[in-house]
Amino acid sequence: MKGKNFSFNISELDLSVPRIGQMLNFGEGECEGVFSEMIFSALEEAEKLPPARAEYTIFEAVKFSDAEKTIEINDIIFEVNRIVSSQLRGSDSIAVFLCTAGPGISEKSRQAMEAGDLLTGYIYDAVGNEIVDAAFNLLYKDLQKHTEVSGKKLTNRYNPGYCDWKVDEQEKLFRLMPDNYCGIRLNSSALMDPEKSVSGFIGIGRNVRFNSFTCGLCDRTDCIYRNIKDKE
Amino acid sequence: MDEILNKIARCIQSGKIDKVSPYPPDMKGEDGADELTKFALENGIKPDQVLDLALIPAMETVGDRFSRKEIYVPQMLMSAKAMNSAMKHLKPFFQSGETKRKGKFIIGTVAGDLHDIGKNLVSMMIEGGGWEVIDLGVDVSTEKFMKAIGENPQAAVGLSALLTTTMENMKKTVAVIKDSYADTRILIGGAPVTWEYCEKIGADFYSPDPQGAVNYLKQLVA
Ligand code: B12
Repeated sequence: MKGKNFSFNISELDLSVPRIGQMLNFGEGECEGVFSEMIFSALEEAEKLPPARAEYTIFEAVKFSDAEKTIEINDIIFEVNRIVSSQLRGSDSIAVFLCTAGPGISEKSRQAMEAGDLLTGYIYDAVGNEIVDAAFNLLYKDLQKHTEVSGKKLTNRYNPGYCDWKVDEQEKLFRLMPDNYCGIRLNSSALMDPEKSVSGFIGIGRNVRFNSFTCGLCDRTDCIYRNIKDKE
Repeated sequence: MDEILNKIARCIQSGKIDKVSPYPPDMKGEDGADELTKFALENGIKPDQVLDLALIPAMETVGDRFSRKEIYVPQMLMSAKAMNSAMKHLKPFFQSGETKRKGKFIIGTVAGDLHDIGKNLVSMMIEGGGWEVIDLGVDVSTEKFMKAIGENPQAAVGLSALLTTTMENMKKTVAVIKDSYADTRILIGGAPVTWEYCEKIGADFYSPDPQGAVNYLKQLVA
């Protein structure tokens, strides 16, 4: 069982005003004036926060059941369902990851909102989403570097709560990990605290591939990420 | 009178807060919702008229445009800022009882859930619809909802959730509320919520966006 933990300074994460603007639904070149100034100062404030954290553990002994659409790791059976099982099948091992922006950015958002400034609060919230996303991307790149040397590839990430994999399966995922792994706790409603956190699996193997069209597998047509991909 | 009320409404729709506010660029240097509301009240326009003929219709237009995806959250929140700068001048009249709001609305994110962005947007739009909003925050227990309803028995109630798992906690809260207050209207929303779920748990209304909730509340008091 191998693993690695990371802490990324917010300034390392390459968050930019246009990127956040895009997440706020501004079209190309539309995010200007006050909006871009507000995003800029939110990013400046965010850079003062403690680093984002990410961590993964690789589990070598994974068993797939094609009939049941399940994956077994350390005697825990994950009911991942059709889409996720078909995408992860063929993995020799699975990296289970967690990633968090930490509580600071949500705190900033909440403070602004409580002071009556919803717009600033909303911008901090979007920055928080981007921090998690960017931290995850760095974890993924690092994992890729390590697996490439042994000639292996990675699948996309798959998260409980997406692609028909039930969100309450997060409870099993957390059971695999030591307590307070990556500084994240799961409550009895399967919600992670800090809020700006993600969890999931990445398949590793010679016979797996990255699928750039996973949005097409999902039936959620109003997802902001999907819309951005559609625009690109 | 119409002219000044129209101007206030236009400021709110376009997010023009006050004179110094640089947004929107084409209204730079002009009076904003703040100055215009103050001027209107000082010149004999009744606070009721400002609320009913400028603020509420302007926010309704904003909400509709958001529902139709003609504008997005940032523009909607800029309008909210402009609305607040006008509302601030009306607050003393609400407090003295001279101006009445349409009713009370209790809102909170259900137990086990911390997500508050969606809830805050809904609160803001409902306030802009002329309601007094009592925001109980996040991770709100059924008991806390019950206490607030006990203190405000005429209020409508809104519940918000982020995940299908936390959404399950709506079911319990709705059941307990309905058990003691069968007539209390309960609205639910949040990313995983659907009409189907709303009917299943016996809530009264579901809306994927804030304006749907505002319209529903409006017809309750019509
Ligand atoms: C941004 C986002 C994230 C961010 C931030 C999350 C956060 N809590 O801040 C990150 C990347 C961290 C994240 C993580 C996760 N997410 Co997420 N996320 C989203 C996303 C894309 C947008 C959510 C959002 O902030 N929207 C903006 C706000 C303004 O919208 P809103 O809250 O929905 O509110 C609006 C309406 O719903 C409505 N409304 C809200 N409340 C109310 C109340 C009433 C009374 C009314 C009338 C209306 C109403 O009005 C609001 C304004 O329009 C949604 C998908 C989507 N398009 O909604 C998924 C989504 C919520 N996530 C999902 C999941 C599964 C997760 C994770 C569990 C994934 C994982 N395993 O890591 C984690 C859980 C995080 C945690 N803390 O436990 C699922 C939940 C579905 C489910 N199966 O339960 C969704 C729906 C995506 C999907 N699969 O379809 N997520």
